[in-house]
Amino acid sequence: MHELSPAPVPVDVLNTLTQRLYHEARLLDAERFEDWLELLCDDVGYRMELKRRRFRADRSPPAAVGVGVVFNETLARLKLRIDRLRSGFVWAEDPPNFVRRVVSNVEVEPADAENEAIVHSVIVIHRNRIDGLTRVFTAGRTDRWRHGKQGWCLAARDIALDHAVLHDSNINVFF
Amino acid sequence: MDVSGLVDTATGRQSRTIYSSEELYKQELERIFARCWLFLVHTSQIPKAGDYFRTFMGEDDVIVIRQKDGSIKAFLNSCTHRGNRICRADRGNAKAFTCNYHGWSFAPDGSLAGVPLENEAYFGELDRSKLGLVPVTHVAEYNGLVFGCFDPDAPSLEDYLGDAKFFLDVWLDAMPGGTSLVGETQKMVLGSNWKLPVENVCGDGYHLGWAHAGAMMAVQSLDLSGLSVGNSSADLDGGLSVAGMNGHMALTALDGVSGYAFYPDPKPMLDYLEANRPEVIERLGKVRGEQLWGSQINITIFPNLQFLPGLNWFRVYHPKGPGQIEQWTWAMVENDMPEEVQATILDNQCLTFGLAGLFDNDDGDNLAACTEQSRGWRTAQMDVFTNMALGRSGPREGFPGDIAAGLVSEHNQRYFYRRWQEHMQAESWAEVPTYNINPLSAQETVDA
Repeated sequence: MHELSPAPVPVDVLNTLTQRLYHEARLLDAERFEDWLELLCDDVGYRMELKRRRFRADRSPPAAVGVGVVFNETLARLKLRIDRLRSGFVWAEDPPNFVRRVVSNVEVEPADAENEAIVHSVIVIHRNRIDGLTRVFTAGRTDRWRHGKQGWCLAARDIALDHAVLHDSNINVFF
Repeated sequence: MDVSGLVDTATGRQSRTIYSSEELYKQELERIFARCWLFLVHTSQIPKAGDYFRTFMGEDDVIVIRQKDGSIKAFLNSCTHRGNRICRADRGNAKAFTCNYHGWSFAPDGSLAGVPLENEAYFGELDRSKLGLVPVTHVAEYNGLVFGCFDPDAPSLEDYLGDAKFFLDVWLDAMPGGTSLVGETQKMVLGSNWKLPVENVCGDGYHLGWAHAGAMMAVQSLDLSGLSVGNSSADLDGGLSVAGMNGHMALTALDGVSGYAFYPDPKPMLDYLEANRPEVIERLGKVRGEQLWGSQINITIFPNLQFLPGLNWFRVYHPKGPGQIEQWTWAMVENDMPEEVQATILDNQCLTFGLAGLFDNDDGDNLAACTEQSRGWRTAQMDVFTNMALGRSGPREGFPGDIAAGLVSEHNQRYFYRRWQEHMQAESWAEVPTYNINPLSAQETVDA
């Protein structure tokens, strides 16, 4: 771990990646999904695992088949979700909801690959949906960003949602 | 409260007050949730001694625990001293449950094992034998599904399930290795009355093509087998709405593959089905082996358990007041499936009917809005209707139940509300009618 003595990343990398996260948030708030997809690497992995609530001293073994996921997406599956949202038939999103993302606690550290960086961040997604119904999702994110010919693209995102019980009837948003 | 005027199954009418009344909700907790057999856990979720799983029976918090002798017991999750919850984990394995408040400790068999300062503060006068966790008196298993019941006068679980076992076994007993529920619990709070999602899944093929139109269009490019897609996606003829089995229902296609219609790559599942179909026909007979196993089937066990072999999601709804539920979902697999097929099923269940499910995310707001539109001064006096295809049902050879043809009708919903009314009117189990309409046992050609 680099926790105690993080290897330095160049200031311009820190700046660029932090701006990328803010830019992403603004694109998604505006439902500019196709522009958002441009920021993703072709082999992107986009994951959110289900939460567990166990005693610290719990002795039970890990789940045999897996814990299950909220998101386990490739680029094709993200496009599938966007096709659904773009279909004009997702009634929960019409009229459009007021969605605003706040991204914070950005930390950048070197990755094993020279052209990659690990980026930690926190995202809060505020949604005002039906009349006064307001819901807020909070999640931590650990990303791997890769630098290539087109600049930085998102190679992997692991999202830790901070809700054991989802307090809304859908997750029609990207984190 | 007399509910005879609130539901009319002959015409398919319900008063909206049944979705919003606090008084009726309290009556439901007593006459439905404290009376019926309720799903607690699948045996696969607590395989070893000391394994436990927390759930609810109505609004009562319950811990289900695997005992040393392999049996399963369930207890109210409440300290017998001051009432505090003794377990706050979802599930796990424990040697004891110790209350956070004063440190009373309970063994997995429910007995009160330890009391701090027992001699010094209670002067040794505490009768620990009378202060064990309060058990759920009736716990029974059917092919891996564990149910609990608070009512000593309830029929046996087997009798309670009745002819619905014909459909249950299409998942539970198709293959010799049995079944499992996999993954963590997918929990969601919905602002819905508990009856509305049950009604939606028990018989409502009608909403599929419209409420889920966005998801249907998105998956249209995928390799769909068995189900057509488009604006009227549900097959009008190739399925059955089956009811009249003690309040339980099935909505089933008959093609043997359509359960896997929403899988991005259904081939591994279809290969598994074809490789094992002869054995399933051997075990369950031709009707179920050829027509039901692998088909899209919605099974409802009254009041709050629903599962869909094929799409492979398994769900209970816990009521939290007249206008709120917690919806719990797991993926369901057969143990004979190769591990990669099981993993694909878990992944696909999460994609389609998980917390961010392409299909599941369409239903919540509709159910919540139907609930809200029963709360107003005027709307609470209004009715809603389940009167589609009235009087168009009958027997069908090889199947139990009163059956309407097709996946689009409101036949099953009428039987659901009929059962609701029967329970709500009855003072006790003795007044609840038992019926298995057109029982297989009375048919000359049984499933051959």
